Formats: sequence, C-alpha cells, structure tokens
Amino acid sequence: MKLNSVEDLNRYKEILRNKNNKSKKIVVRICSTGCRAFGALEVLDTFLKEIKKRRLNDKVEIRQTGCHGLCAKAPVLAIDPLGLFYQQVTPIDVPNIISHTILKGKILDKLVYKDLKTGESYPYIKDIPFYKEQLKIVLRNCGIIDPTSIEQYIMRDGYQALIKVLTSMKPEEVIEEVKNSGLRGRGGAGFPTGRKWEFVRNSKGRPKYIVCNADEGDPGAFMDRAVLEGDPHSVLEGMLIAAYAIGANEGYVYVRAEYPIAVYNLKIAIDKMYRIGLLGDNILSTGFNFKLYIKEGAGAFVCGEETALLASIEGRRGTPRPRPPFPAEKGLFGKPTNINNVETYANIAPIILKGAKWYSSLGTKGSCGTKVFSLAGKVRNTGLVEVPMGITLRRIIFDIGGGISRDRKFKAVQTGGPSGGCIPGKYLDLPVDYESLSSKGAIMGSGGMIVTDEDTCMVDLAKFFLNFLRDESCGKCVPCRIGTQRMYEILDKITKGKGTREDIDLLYMLAESVKDSSLCGLGQTSANPILSTLNYFKDEYMYHIDYKKCPAGVCEELITSPCRDTCPINDDAQGYIDFIKRGDIDGALAVVRKTNPLPSVCGRACYHPCERKCKRGEIDKPVSIRLLKRYIADKGKWIPLKVKLTKDKVAVIGSGPAGLSCAYFLVQKGYKVEIFESLPVSGGMLAVGIPSYRLPKDILKRDIDVIKKMGVRIHLNKRIGKEIKIFELRKEFKALFLGIGCHKPLMLNIPGENKEGVITGIEFLRKVNLGKKIDLKGKKVLVFGGGNVAIDVARVSLRLKADEVNILYRRGPDEMPASKEEIEEALEEKINIMYFIAPLEVIGDKKVTGVKCIKMELGDFDESGRRKPIPVKGSEHIVPCDVVIIAISQVPDFEMLNLPKEIVVGNKIIVDRDTMVTSIAGIFAGGDLVRGPSTIVDAMSDGKRGAISIDKFLRGEEVKFVPEKLKLDRLYKLEEEVVNWDRIDVKKLKLKTRACSFEEIEEGFSDKEALLESQRCLQCDKNRYEIK
Amino acid sequence: MNKIKINIDGLDIETDSGKTIMEVADEHNVHIPRLCYHKSLPIQAACRLCVVEVEGIRNLVSSCSYPISDGMKILTNSPRVVKARKVILELLISNHPLDCMTCEECGKCLLQKYAYEYKVSDSRFKGRKYDLPKDDKNPFFIADYNKCILCGRCIAACKEIQYCNVVDFVNRGFDCRPGSEYEKTFDKTECVFCGNCVSVCPVGALIEKDRIGKGREWDIKRVSSICPYCGVGCQISLIVKDNNVLWIEGRDTGTLNNGWLCVKGRFGYKFINHPDRLKKPLIKVNGKFKETNWDEAIDLVIKEFTKIKNKYGPDAFGILSSAKCTNEENYLMQKFARVVLGTNNIDHCARLCHAPSVSALSKTVGSAAMSVSIEDISKADCLFVIGNNTTETHPVTALYIKKAVNSNGTKLIVADPRKIELTNYATVWLRHKTGTDVMLLNGIAKVIIEEGLVNKEFIKDRVDGYEEYEREIKNISLDEVSNITKVSKDKIIQAARIYGKASSAIILWGMGITQHISGTDNAISISNLALITGHIGKENAGVAPLRGQCNVQGSCDMGALPDVYPGYQSVVKSEIREKFAKEWNVSILPEKPGLTVVEMMQNKTIKVMYIMGENPILSDPNYNKLKEELKHLEFLVVQDIFLNETAELADVVLPASSFAEKDGTFTNTERRIQRLNKAINPVGESKPDWQIICEISTRMGYAMKYNHPSEIMDEIAKLVSSYAGVNYAKIGESGIQWPVLSSTHPGTKFLHKEKFPIGKGKLIFTKYIPPNETEDKNYPYLLMTGRILFQYHTRTMTGRVDGLNWKAPEPLIEINTKDALKIGCKSGDRLKVSSRRGEIIVKANITDKVPEGEVFITFHYKDAIANALTNDEALDPYSKIPEYKVTVVKIQEKTTKW
Repeated sequence: MKLNSVEDLNRYKEILRNKNNKSKKIVVRICSTGCRAFGALEVLDTFLKEIKKRRLNDKVEIRQTGCHGLCAKAPVLAIDPLGLFYQQVTPIDVPNIISHTILKGKILDKLVYKDLKTGESYPYIKDIPFYKEQLKIVLRNCGIIDPTSIEQYIMRDGYQALIKVLTSMKPEEVIEEVKNSGLRGRGGAGFPTGRKWEFVRNSKGRPKYIVCNADEGDPGAFMDRAVLEGDPHSVLEGMLIAAYAIGANEGYVYVRAEYPIAVYNLKIAIDKMYRIGLLGDNILSTGFNFKLYIKEGAGAFVCGEETALLASIEGRRGTPRPRPPFPAEKGLFGKPTNINNVETYANIAPIILKGAKWYSSLGTKGSCGTKVFSLAGKVRNTGLVEVPMGITLRRIIFDIGGGISRDRKFKAVQTGGPSGGCIPGKYLDLPVDYESLSSKGAIMGSGGMIVTDEDTCMVDLAKFFLNFLRDESCGKCVPCRIGTQRMYEILDKITKGKGTREDIDLLYMLAESVKDSSLCGLGQTSANPILSTLNYFKDEYMYHIDYKKCPAGVCEELITSPCRDTCPINDDAQGYIDFIKRGDIDGALAVVRKTNPLPSVCGRACYHPCERKCKRGEIDKPVSIRLLKRYIADKGKWIPLKVKLTKDKVAVIGSGPAGLSCAYFLVQKGYKVEIFESLPVSGGMLAVGIPSYRLPKDILKRDIDVIKKMGVRIHLNKRIGKEIKIFELRKEFKALFLGIGCHKPLMLNIPGENKEGVITGIEFLRKVNLGKKIDLKGKKVLVFGGGNVAIDVARVSLRLKADEVNILYRRGPDEMPASKEEIEEALEEKINIMYFIAPLEVIGDKKVTGVKCIKMELGDFDESGRRKPIPVKGSEHIVPCDVVIIAISQVPDFEMLNLPKEIVVGNKIIVDRDTMVTSIAGIFAGGDLVRGPSTIVDAMSDGKRGAISIDKFLRGEEVKFVPEKLKLDRLYKLEEEVVNWDRIDVKKLKLKTRACSFEEIEEGFSDKEALLESQRCLQCDKNRYEIK
Repeated sequence: MNKIKINIDGLDIETDSGKTIMEVADEHNVHIPRLCYHKSLPIQAACRLCVVEVEGIRNLVSSCSYPISDGMKILTNSPRVVKARKVILELLISNHPLDCMTCEECGKCLLQKYAYEYKVSDSRFKGRKYDLPKDDKNPFFIADYNKCILCGRCIAACKEIQYCNVVDFVNRGFDCRPGSEYEKTFDKTECVFCGNCVSVCPVGALIEKDRIGKGREWDIKRVSSICPYCGVGCQISLIVKDNNVLWIEGRDTGTLNNGWLCVKGRFGYKFINHPDRLKKPLIKVNGKFKETNWDEAIDLVIKEFTKIKNKYGPDAFGILSSAKCTNEENYLMQKFARVVLGTNNIDHCARLCHAPSVSALSKTVGSAAMSVSIEDISKADCLFVIGNNTTETHPVTALYIKKAVNSNGTKLIVADPRKIELTNYATVWLRHKTGTDVMLLNGIAKVIIEEGLVNKEFIKDRVDGYEEYEREIKNISLDEVSNITKVSKDKIIQAARIYGKASSAIILWGMGITQHISGTDNAISISNLALITGHIGKENAGVAPLRGQCNVQGSCDMGALPDVYPGYQSVVKSEIREKFAKEWNVSILPEKPGLTVVEMMQNKTIKVMYIMGENPILSDPNYNKLKEELKHLEFLVVQDIFLNETAELADVVLPASSFAEKDGTFTNTERRIQRLNKAINPVGESKPDWQIICEISTRMGYAMKYNHPSEIMDEIAKLVSSYAGVNYAKIGESGIQWPVLSSTHPGTKFLHKEKFPIGKGKLIFTKYIPPNETEDKNYPYLLMTGRILFQYHTRTMTGRVDGLNWKAPEPLIEINTKDALKIGCKSGDRLKVSSRRGEIIVKANITDKVPEGEVFITFHYKDAIANALTNDEALDPYSKIPEYKVTVVKIQEKTTKW
C-alpha cells in the first residue's frame, strides 16, 4: 500500500487507531533489545506459545519493544492498560503472569520493583522512582511501540511533524523553529542544531546531504543504540525534516555494524518507508524527494568524528581531516552536509509538533530540553534515563539510579565517555548541563555516565580509557598517535608501582600538549581522563607512586589480596585462613603474630576493613575474618616469641595499641623496651575505653602478658609530664615513642554543662572500666554524640540499669559515624536513637533535669559532600533527663603531658605519617595523638612504623619510608573449589541476658564453624604466588 | 578574491583571502616548521608541527590547513606553540632510532633539523618503539619504517600523484604505519618503482639503495640537468661526489615535473659510470677492434671521408644524428653534413617516430610541435589519448592525465587496441583494431558534424576546406566504421560527444598513430578533429604528439632532417639556402633533399655512414636484411657512449660523453628548451659529441671553433626565428618554451593563439587505407611493437642498469587468452614467432591486455629482436616511416625441433 498524499497518511492513522481502540487488548510489552542478553526472547517465546495454547490471541497482544530503561532488572515487561511493571521475568513466571495478572488483574509481588532500601513494592510504572523522575521525549516511543511496525509509530502521531513542515512551513521557518527551541547537538559538543542547519542551507554547493551519526562508540554508552533499536522512525522523521530544511535529497545513516538489532530495525524501517511512500520521489505528493541509505561502520571509534565518518562513507580510510572547511561547507563527497547524531534527530519531531516554546521551557536556559543518559558502573539501577537538563547528578545517581551498589561509597562519575572527565562527590549537586559539566572539567558528551565507587582505582580508570583511546587513535597525527601511547605507558608504569613523582609532571605536560595540538576531537580530548582524575584524585596517583599500593585494591601488580592490603597492619588473613582449613590453629596463630601483636583484641574489637574489601562479598557475604582471627587467638597455643634483648633502651609512653605494637616490634629487633603508663592498668583505651562486653579484661590481659613475657617492661601509674619529664627520659633511653591516647573529652560548650549529673563519655567509661561504682538505676540518660563512644556509653548505661537511654544526634542515620553493627546491637537492646536534635542548654538548678534541644534539618552540601545540619527555627524543646553524657569527641591531654611545643599543633602532634618521626631527633609518636580519636588497628600500624623507624634511627640509618613489599609465603597451593554456603553467623548472648550483663556478647566460632567459614575464602591471591 | 588584513607575530599583513596561514607566513619569510606538508601533495595536517596560536581559537591550529580570515591574529612562535612543538618532536623521537651517525638522510633529515632548532636531543618518553622488518627486497630502495614518522607523504605520492596505490596506512594508533596489502614487500606488489615516495620522505625511512654508504648531504653537490630518457624532459639534479653520480633527484621549478620522476629517470643512471663505457677510440683491424688514440682515429676518419667524397661525391654519405644528443650537437652535425660533406643525407630516429606527425601537422596547421604544455593536460575538460601508452612511454605526462581524471573530473577517451593502464581511468575506451585509426577518427568526426558539435565560428574564422571535408565525411557509414574498427557505434558516439561538447580538449598521441603506412593520414585525421571543434589555439586545448626521446623535438628543430635546415626551413628554397650559406660562410649548399633513415639503409649509393648516438641495427625494421645491407658500406663510423650493436659493425668507434659529462640543451615534447650541465668529467678519454664533430670538421678544413655550447646556441638563435630570443642565461633553471621571438619574449605556453603559421588551418579529408599486411591463414596474427616502462630504446643505457633488468629481464610476447588456447601455450612458454622476414624465439605472456588476433612485443631486446619481424618495405608515402605497428606473424608452440 502506498500513501500518495497527506490525507492518505492521516486517513491511515485514523483507521489504525480505530482498529486499535476497538480491539481492547491487554498489551504485554516485552523489551526485546537490551534484555535479550538476559533471556527476553525466551520469555517472549513462552508468552506467545502460552497465549496461543490458551487461545487468548484476541484478548492479549504480546509486543516486542525496545528498551524500557531499567536494564539492571532485565528482562523487564510492562502490562497495559494496567500500568504494571514486572522485572527479572523468567519463562517460568509466564503462566502465572497470564493466569493471575492478565486474566485476573492480580499483582505478582515477586516480580514487582522493590525499593532498594526500604524494600517497599512499586507495582505501577507511574510510582517507580526510577521512572517517576524521568521525562521522555527522545524515548517517547521506546519500550512502547514495536520498532518494526511503522503503523504503531504512525498511530502515535508519527510523521505528523513531517506533514506539518511539508505542508505548512518554509524551510527557513523550520530552521527558525529549531533555532528557537534551543536544541543543541546531542553528539557531545552541543553546537546549536538550528544554526548548523542554517549554515548548510546557506552553503552554495549542490547537492546537499544529510547524515545521521549513529556511530556510538563510547564504552558504557548505549543511548543511540536504544533509540535506533526501539524507535528508528523517530530518528528518520527528524532526518527527513532536516533534509527538507536544508534542501537535501539524499541521506545516510552511519551506524556501527556491532549494533545488529539497530541495523536490522533501521533496514526494516527504511524499507517500509519506501514501500508506503515516505521515502523516494515526490513524498506524499508534496514535491519533496528524499532517499536514505544505511552505511554500516566497521567499529572504529574515530569514525564518530564527523570528518572521519564522512571519509568512511566515501569508502576511504576513516581518518579525520582538519577543519575548516566544516562539513556544512564541504562534507560528504565535498558537498555541504548536515551531520547530527541520533538523539538530536529524535528530538526534532516533538519540537515541530509541540513548538519551540514548549521545548525551550524544559531544561535550563542554555541547555534546553531533555538528555538521555546511559547510567552504568557501580550504580544500582543501571540503565537508560531521560531527564530534563539541569537536574543534579545526585538525583540521577541516587534517586533514579538508586545509589551505589553494595552500599559502597560514591567516588566519582565519569561523564562523556573516554573523552570526558570525572566529577567527584563534592560536585554531586552540580546541575547537569553543557556549561556546568565543562566548568568541572567533564563534558556532556553523548550522555554516558559511568559511576565509580571506593573500589574503583582512578589511576586504573584513566588507564582504561587511555588504553581504549590509544587503540582507537587513527594514528594520523603525532600527538594523538604517540601521545596517547606514552600517556598510557606512564599510567601503566604507575599502576605497576614503577611510577615516580616526575611522571606526574610529565603526564601534565604531555596531556596539555596533546590536548592543544591534536588534529581532531579524539586527540584533543584524549587527555581528559588523566587531567580530571589528576585534578580530583591526585592523592591516589601519589599513593601508587609513594607507597606502591593501590588504595582501591585494583591494580594487579600492587595488590597481594584485598583483605591484606586493606588492613593497616597488613594481617595476612588468607595466610592464616589457609592454616585453619588444614586444622593447624597454632600455625595460623604464628601467621597472625607475625604482623599483629594483639590478635585477641583485634579478633573482637577491630572494625575489620578487610571484610569490606573481601571478594567473597561480591558473591554473597564477606568471609568473617575478624571472628576467624578471634578463633585463632582463643584456640591457639600462645608461645612467647623468642627474642634476645641486646640493643639500646627505648621508652614507650602509653600502653595502648600504638605503644604495645611499637614495643612488640622493637623487642623482636632486640631493643630493651620500657613502657610508661599513667593509668593503674595497662592497655590504654583498650582497658578503659572499650566496655568489657566487647573486650573482656582477661582477654586483653592475655595479649599484653605475652608481650610482657617477651621482655617488655610496663611501668604503671607513671605519668609523663608530672612525675617524669620527657627530656630526662631521653637521657636514659636512646629513643622515645609517644603513644598516648585521647583521654581528654571535648565539651558541648553550652550553658549548664558543669551541672551535677553531666559527665563526659570518656570519663564515664574509664570509671566503669576501672571498677568505680556508678548506679543509674531508674535514671533517664541522654547521650550526645554519634560515634562508637556514644554507643558504648549508651549500652553501658543500660547495663548500669538506667531506666531509659537516649542517644541524641544532630544529623541523620546515614551520616552517623558509629559502626553499623554497633548501632544495630544498640537498637536491639532498645536504646533509643533520636536524630536531627542538637542540645542548646543543660537545664536544672544544681542537678540536671533536662536538656533544652533544637530540631535540625539538612541544609546545603558542604565540601565533604555531606549536607550541613541547620537548626529549625522555633523547634526548641526540652528533653527531660537525670543524666547527661557528652560523647562527642576527645583529644589528647597535652596540657598535662607538657610536651615540647614545636611538635604540637592544635590537638595533634605533628609527625611524618609514614615514619612517625617528630621534628625532635629521637622522639617518635603515633596513634590517637597524631591522628585524633582513631581505631585500634590504625594505632597499631603507627606503632609498628614507629618501631621500624626507631630501629633505623638507632642503627644510624636514614629514617625514611620504604614501601614494604608484602611477601606471599604459602605452604600449599590451594585448588579447592569455591564452596557455596553462607557466612556463618556467630552466636551471641541472648538479648534479655546480655542487656544487663557485662559478659562478652559474642561467643566466637566453634571448631566446625571456623572450618566451614574458612572454606568460604576464595584465596584471591592464589594466582600471585608459586609454591617452591 | 578580496584583500584582507591579518597580523602574524605583530606584523600587519594585507593579502588575498583564500590562503592558508602557512602560505602567508612563507610569503613573508616567517619560518614555520613542517614535516608532513609538501607543496605538491595534498594537505595532511598530520604532523602538527606547524601548529600556531590564533587569537580566539581554543586549540592550536595547523597552519598548513587553516585558512586566514580578516582580522586574524596569529602567533607562530609563542611559548605555547614552542612547547607543543617540542613535545611533538620529543614524541617522534621517542619512537625513532637515533642512528643519525649512520643514517643516509643525516644532514637533510627534517626531523633532525627541527630537533636541532628546538633543542630536542632525547626524549623523556620511554616506551614501545617500532620493531619492524626492513624491506630491502627490491633493487631500488629500502623501506625502513622504524624511522617512519607517518607524515603520509609517501602514501600521498603513491595514491595521489602516481595513482599506484601500493602503500597506505595500515593498522591504527601506535601500530599505524605505511604498508602494502597483505604486508607484501614492494617487489611483490604492483609498485612501478617511480621512487616518488622516496623523494618526498623527510627522514631516512625510504632511501635509494645505491646511495647507501656513498656520501651524505655535506659530501655531495647537486647539478641541475635533464633526464636523458623520454621526451617529457623531466628536470633532475645529479647528485655528485668525486666524479661519480651517486643518485638522482627530481627538480621542482614549478614548470614541469614538480620533482616527480619515473623509474628510469630516478633509478636508471647507473650507465653513466658503467665499466662498459667506451673510454678510447677503437679502430677495426682485421675484423677486431683495437684501442687507439684520438689523433689516429680522427686521421683515419678524415682519410676515409676525403677518399670517398672524392670517389663518389657528397651523396655517398649517410649521416644519422641523434635525438639523445643536444640541440647544439645536432645543429653541428647537420652543419657538418651540409657544409663539410656537402650532402642533405642527414636524418635521425624522429623518422621512426613522429615524422608522420610532422608531415601532417605541417600541412594542416603549419607546426608539428605539441601545441599545448604538459601542465595544461591536468586542466583540460577532455583528454583524448590515442595510440599512446602514456603511463609506460611518458610516465610523468601520465601523472597529469591521472590527476586530471581523479582530481579535476576531466573526461578521458582512450583509443588503443591494448588494455593499457590508462583504460582504467577512461570514461570511454575505444578498442579499435590496429591500423584502423583513420576510420575511427573519421567516424568520430562524422558524429561531431552530424550532431552539430562543430565550432562554426572557429571554422569560419580560422579553417579552410570545411565544406569539402564535411561532404566527404558525411559519405562515411558509421556501420562500416564499426565493422572495420571493431568498435561499437555507441562508443564512437559517446566519444564524439565527450570530445565535441568539451569546453577544452587535448588529443595526445604517439607511435600508435604514426607507425603505419597511413601515419600521416592518421595525424591529419586528428588535426581535423581539433580544427572542426576549435580545440586548438586556446588555453588547455590542442594537439599533442608526445615525443619519444629526450631531444627528438630539438633534433628536428635543429634540422637533423634531410629536407630542412634548422627551424624547418626548406633546403629547396634558394633564398633560405643563401641565408645559411652566408651565415656558415660557404659558397654553396646542396639543394636536393636528402635520404631518410630507411632510404639510406636501402640505398646502395650510400658508401659511408656516420652514426651518432643511434643503434639502427636494432631499432630499424627488418633486422636481418639491414645487417646484410650495412656490410655493403665501405666505411662506417659510430660515435656512442657504448659499443652498441651497430658500433660492433663499425670501422671506427668514437667514444662520446654522456649527458652528465657535458653542457648543452634539450628541447622537450612541449617545446621547452632546457639546459644540461656538466656534472662530472668525461669518462675515460671520451669527448662530448660537439667537440668530436668540431674536431673532425676543423681538421677537414672547415673550422668549427666554439669555446662552449652556449656559443653554438647563439648561432642557432641567429638562424632560427623560434629560437631567436634563446640564450643560456635566459633558459635558466626552468627552461623556456619556443617560440621565443626575442630576448624579451617570455616563451610560448601554447601555439596558434591567433593564427596558424600557415595562416588558416587546413581540413584534409583522409581515406582509410588498410595496412600493408593483413592477416591470413599463414600469418594469422597482427604484431605490434612498442616500449615498456622499464626499458628504453635498444637498452644501450637501461640494459646496463641492474634494477631495471631485474624488473624487466627479458622480452615477452603478449598473447590473448583465446589465442593462447588456439596455439596451445601458457605464460612462460617459449614460442617461435615468425614473419615473412624473420623469426625469433620469445617467452609468452598470456594476457587480455591485447585483443584476440593481435600480439605485442617490445623492440628493446637483442635477445629477441622484434625488428627481425618488422616490415621495412611498407612506408608511409609522405614521411617514409615504416609500419612497425602492423606485421603479420605466425606463432608456433615450442617443439623439440628447436
């Protein structure tokens, strides 16, 4: 059938619509493009068979559509007119969907979208956050119509815009309309589309050509692909309108051959257009002639560059040529040519139909309309989204994208593909438009968005893109051909731990020059991944160079295993887990003790960053490394390491984890170490800061006793500054290590803090731990703070029989710094946490009766990417209480310590963080007094580094940091298969008994449990060592 | 084009729009470095070394490609620009072997030059380097792409100058480099070894093989000269060190070959210092040559010459002058013949090539020379190449044809029985049967006339004889034309329309037209086409007989012909004779026109021959007969640089110097008079031909005393009006095209602008005459002879160049596939080919290049002398050229009998 006039087309549209309206079918729209990889065609097939079998053909239409957007949940389908959305559908689900949903209208909850945090179900498309925030213009038909059906396109007002321009608009008016719409080229550079058309129209040469750039080559970009696959006519209609506007009668779609579905659907679309008279001579009898060809590209990235693309169409080697002349002047076959990308053309018909005013009202002033983004990387809802310009990155990534997978920390988003740049967390609230993105060193590009998280190495990311670019460089111009190779090589060197600081300068210099002098956009932007990562993540580069370590645990040659690399003291978890597997607990303990002086402590109270990085966590849950360590410490045989104390005397101040660790490693090197402790017990914060239900006193004593047996002498009740002066000690001891904890609490600095019943958290814990009697029976306790100390204080208060314990925190749950496990346990124990409340004044005559508080709300984002809490006016209220415990933070008590002034700045001692050297020769320091309140294992790491430096110092060597090369000495090569059982949950005391007891909560693994758990280890380092 | 103002480095410049930044900078001596830019090649903008800063533009721009615009402010040397250039050089060097100490290009290498200028001695970038195998499999050049900087010049030269497409970029990114299909080495490709890629390589990646280790930039001197091979007369430089020619470079004066050369011009120079060169005069004693000194040799010559003159009179002498010798030498030779010996029996090989063109064009337009210039070829609207295998015989002219077709959209008509390379570029190819040119051309004329494509105005103003011509042409039946020529009517009509409708058209022809008994008629037919359409006497339109040898035009101009004095002044006109007698200071000059080449050979009255720089025994028809005939001579003097086949029969052999050893001038096919300069001392005791002639003449009593060939040219200028304004200073480096009417005349780019030398052009209807021999049962095949690219003439020169012999080691007979089936032979078989006059044994090359029933053999080789088959009796009645292009032969498969 051939449409010979505009009336023919309109009549045809009406016929189609009437027929459709009459049929009243239930339509099941199945994504058959992107979801194909996840079995969509099998689902489709099952549907068709099932419908046939049940003779439902008249009632149900099974429609193959293009992409619905939510690729993360593939295969997806939608059911009209119910407006339902089902995800991750398998062929097995199909009979149920037909029986229950299609025939009875019942919703199958299993297949419904669930909120990733709350678990709430969203059966209807209109409610799903992923869709709710979007505005679909380009993707108007994507996922709705069958892309192979021109009829369905026509039914949805397809080719109405073409009719409008052919019958009622002059070419100049079309151009004016597009100019007024503010549409800018969606291929990346954002050149105003209308102006480009005007240039081509005014160019003198004949004939003129229209080209659609569908050579989408960015890794991680699939916008154009989805449009071509899902709605090819929207692009073709745009091309026809453009052809009419500029006066062209021939056009090419340059599409990459790697998009077979796009090519297939395009071919069908063009074929049907010819057949019904929308292509060819005298289209709809309007006198407009247009022919359209498909040119399949062979997959060279550079052919996305317009001059290279044109060369490729002409049959020449696809390399760029210098501009000017621009294609608008001399393009295809030397004739004026208009090139736009897929998305640009897809915007044209709606602009013509709804008007420039409508379009320009969307988005921002400089960036009108919507933009399609392909959301990829470490984000939960990977997929295709179309949003108005000006929306913030945060809304795209967190609201639509559902945030970062596996609760990782967002690091940066790479926009614009390999030529683009990364934008770090502090700019998450940047509106997404052409200018804003480029102001931060990124680009809009064609709309790729690759989200990275803490597990992404930014050097590796830059290297990945440079590897891509050096491969895709056409090789024509020198800066790009050799420059990208050299940049890649430098990055490669850095990721292999062979980089130097000079390499960074070289990279900058090279990047600038390549950018400045390359022939085409590929070269000119090839340095962007480097420049933007260097701009925002230079520290990561430096870490690779200085420490020969990859902080994200990505760079192959710089990692041993993620758990070990992440551990501040590099505990060889896979090493000791190996021994557990073989039942050799003593062997395991020996491995632990090589690096860790306090295994029993760490097995209980360490915050175990190792588990967060554990590769097993990417399959199900991480290996329970901390508890396995505890198991070893509890079950292993403790034999003091043999040492010969033949060397100089070294004094260590403070017997906390930093001091003990320093002493432990020093005695092993033969030094005579004496520790001076101001408290009546040894262990520092371990003894007086951590409640015994987490770390029993005898357990702590066990670790310390072993150290003592190795020859370390601990002097209790010896306070530096008071009884002993630092400089006097220096006379007797050749070197000093300061490892004092943060024992001085910070106050809220509000009126009434000195009232009776107000106590600081640290004071409170110390008293309890030292056996002082505090009775809180029947009292109502308010704890201020959000860290681990606040949680400890609250839980201890509960155990001291407090009637009611409340934690008041001025920010929300997401911002709370205390560890998740602790918060959970506290909540289980019925401790009440009140968020967004800040204290103003402590009320009461002499004794506390309450605290005047104010509600807070989140305001603007600060530099760290966190939103600032600000008080809500007029929300002052009084929270009654009997006891107030202030647990906001603490600092070292420098006043009392009376340390030399030159090494103290503010609340910290200034040291070289790699060597622990202070500015005074022979004095070293580490732990909380250089870091502020920190973790046990960080303090231990400092102590160990201090010991290494002290040894060097005393041997007269230069004290400088040398990155430690971790050895992988294994006894066995393990070949076992990966076991599939879940992480073994540790037994805990029953809630009822535990809340009123100081008894240790966790029980620890049994032999069997430990064995099972140890077998879950994937031994991800097993390919990095050989058994001799 | 309007004037605009720009500012370069603070300098305000007003200039024409439409230029690039680099062009303007060059005009104002602002130095911008460049690697990929080459003025004769398309702009690549690839090396990026020429980047400059333009105010208001974000990135640096490549000045070679960026057009200027009004108000543009340009910085060519800002710190930003310098930094970028340094990085580019450093990057290049990071992938470049720093073996300048042994690199041939050292001293001339552009990378080295700019590294020096920008103080880049090493690279901070350490990483991958190319590790590519060298290609040294061909004898001409070495390709070591480890040194390649990917400027793309060689590729552009191959693709857009030579249109050979042997190299292109392969791979992408860092692995990108020049390469051929399937990584073949050059010897395995279709490479024609023009070496133009080598000439444009700015570094040492492509190097002439023979120069290796011989000397570098500072060791050598460049001497301007002219290529001694074909009639294009390419401008070259001889690279000389220690009296040796080390290699050849094309010279670019912007007037002719733009530096481009063909394989012979670039690599065919090894004959100069070849050990075979004659170093002493030879005298034959008892059938054997003996070396002697000049005195003794010349004494003998004088003695014999005098004896014979006295005995038989002056017309017993036959003199062959040479199209390979200079104008001055040819002038002296004809003067010697006419004045000293007193005969007009002087001729040269032009007789065997363009004599018919001369006799035809003299009649129709009054001048036999190519009326247009070579560079016009690329600008014409239509080119009609008939009977000329331009890519092999005039390779550099062919570049203009290919460029016209590929870049300017020129329509090309090719008429040739053989599927020559140009047919690939042709809009229409007329594959006519050999010997049917008159028919074909008349057929085309008929269509032009009948379709009203004639230029009536031109005919009215400038042409005589149209009515009669039209009447005759109309009587021709196109069907008959088609029948006889074997070309379809459609194609004839198509060709006629293209030629007739073109705004400017040039007809180019060669031996395919002339070497027939109807040679003169053929050329007249061509002239007719040009006259009825007005495609002559205007810009980019005309007639172009492509001259075969380096100075064939000049030898004719100099009167080395039996019927004319220098400047085509007839010997039969007494006033002319008197003019010459006066100038030459003699009382009388012979008045009877002399014998032509073939007539001299056949005429028993010739007792002595003096042959300079020719080898008629191989080049003239009917070898066997000729060899016998020469034995009848009482005395034979051959003057040559080698002991060629004719010299072997001589009584005295005089050693001449090659083109590299003397001063002089050549006149090329487009009438360009160009200078040779002495680059090395004469080899051995050889002497330049002009000195030998002077010495013989002087010692025979007529003093020829010239200190330098320029004095001879001054004498020529006095006698020849078209050379009137010519002198050595005026010729200069780039040459000058005659007519040069006075010392202030700039020379003439195209002829017949306002009128023809004979007043109005003449249309002469020509009637088709079948060739002398036609195929029959006994001799079923038509043999054509001709040249190939890699050899020249009778191989006295090319036969001594190893590379050329490697490429074309032996003669081949081209036989159509269908004929091969009939004969029962395959490629490589040795076949016996015989005519009524002789037989040869030659290797078969089965190809569809020749049509069924026609075969082709080159005449270069003495191993299979094609001229043993050719017909010396069938001559064009006007020009006396033999019918080389049609000989009937039979072909027999090799049998055990022989």
